[in-house]
Amino acid sequence: MAARSNLPRSGFGQRVARDFRLVYFFGTVTQETNKSAPEPGWLQIVLIGRRPKYTLIRILVLVSVVALTTKFVLLPIRVEGISMEPTYRNHKIDCVNRLAYLLHQPMRGDVVAIRFSEPDSLATPKELLMKRIIGLPGENVAFHEGRVYINGHLLDEPYLKSTCDWEHAPILCGPGQYYVVGDNRTMPFEYHVQGRADRDRIIGKVLL
Amino acid sequence: MKTAARVALLLGGAALGFWLWIVLFPSPQKLVLKRISSLAATANVNAADGNFTRANKVSSLISYFSTDAEISFDVPGAGARTLTGRDEIREAAAGGYINLASLKVRFEDVVARIGPDKQTAVVTCTANVRANDSQDTGIQELRFQFRKIDGDWLIVRVETVKTLQ
Repeated sequence: MAARSNLPRSGFGQRVARDFRLVYFFGTVTQETNKSAPEPGWLQIVLIGRRPKYTLIRILVLVSVVALTTKFVLLPIRVEGISMEPTYRNHKIDCVNRLAYLLHQPMRGDVVAIRFSEPDSLATPKELLMKRIIGLPGENVAFHEGRVYINGHLLDEPYLKSTCDWEHAPILCGPGQYYVVGDNRTMPFEYHVQGRADRDRIIGKVLL
Repeated sequence: MKTAARVALLLGGAALGFWLWIVLFPSPQKLVLKRISSLAATANVNAADGNFTRANKVSSLISYFSTDAEISFDVPGAGARTLTGRDEIREAAAGGYINLASLKVRFEDVVARIGPDKQTAVVTCTANVRANDSQDTGIQELRFQFRKIDGDWLIVRVETVKTLQ
């Protein structure tokens, strides 16, 4: 309405032309200019489509799907810290597949997300640990001269890019416990967060 | 139409009453969660905070604990330590605030469970701590035990939880 009141008064033809442009731009048709079926303007088509009602439904469906996916299927994460370097760099963005262990149990070599405290009901944990599984339930995990021994057998770890001198007596994983450790073992053993994680704390497998 | 308006008014009144009830008489769980959130806010120290502010923060921090409160820490790389009573906690907090330029504390994934007697509560959460504007954050799972003393929910015990055993 404000735009119309500011139209030039110099001539009828000019006013109609301005009106038409205005109408065409916003995609609304007024009685003065056109009484035929409404034709959406390009801006409306670009912003909300030819049928706003359907566009709204599409947006709602899309938002719901994205929200549900990012909460229950693919949890977006940002890596903080250096304990998984060089495999996962600090500040890298990744995703956790929360459905990875629906059909099978976690496997050796999997990089998993482990929750700290128990979140309330359906809430997604905000803080997670990211570690690699090296020991399975019932196995003995030991470190000798920086190498991992599972039940006395040397574990091949091709993902390690640096050596270390970690020494630790065998640790037995109980039922439902997985031994997890980071890929960056350049720091002293006692400074590196590692150990046995209960199965119910493992919320999924890191995707990439 | 009149009936619909009356029903709407009634529902509105009921909703308002319910909201007022929640605000005026919050559940113990809500009170404990509020307490934890306020504890994190109190523990934060900015680099610009002077000695007077820091001393006030220590006093405020102490008020969250019972006189016989115990804090038991066992953090990888830092060893184990136990603080007993308000005096020890005050001393440790004051020492920490003097040595640290800034401290940012956040409690995430907070879950409060109220005991059947409604006088005790256990809160588990993940503490996210960043000291001296460092890029590295310390993450630690914590368990708080609260007890209602003289109408106030006070912390009687704080302990670190080993996420990995």
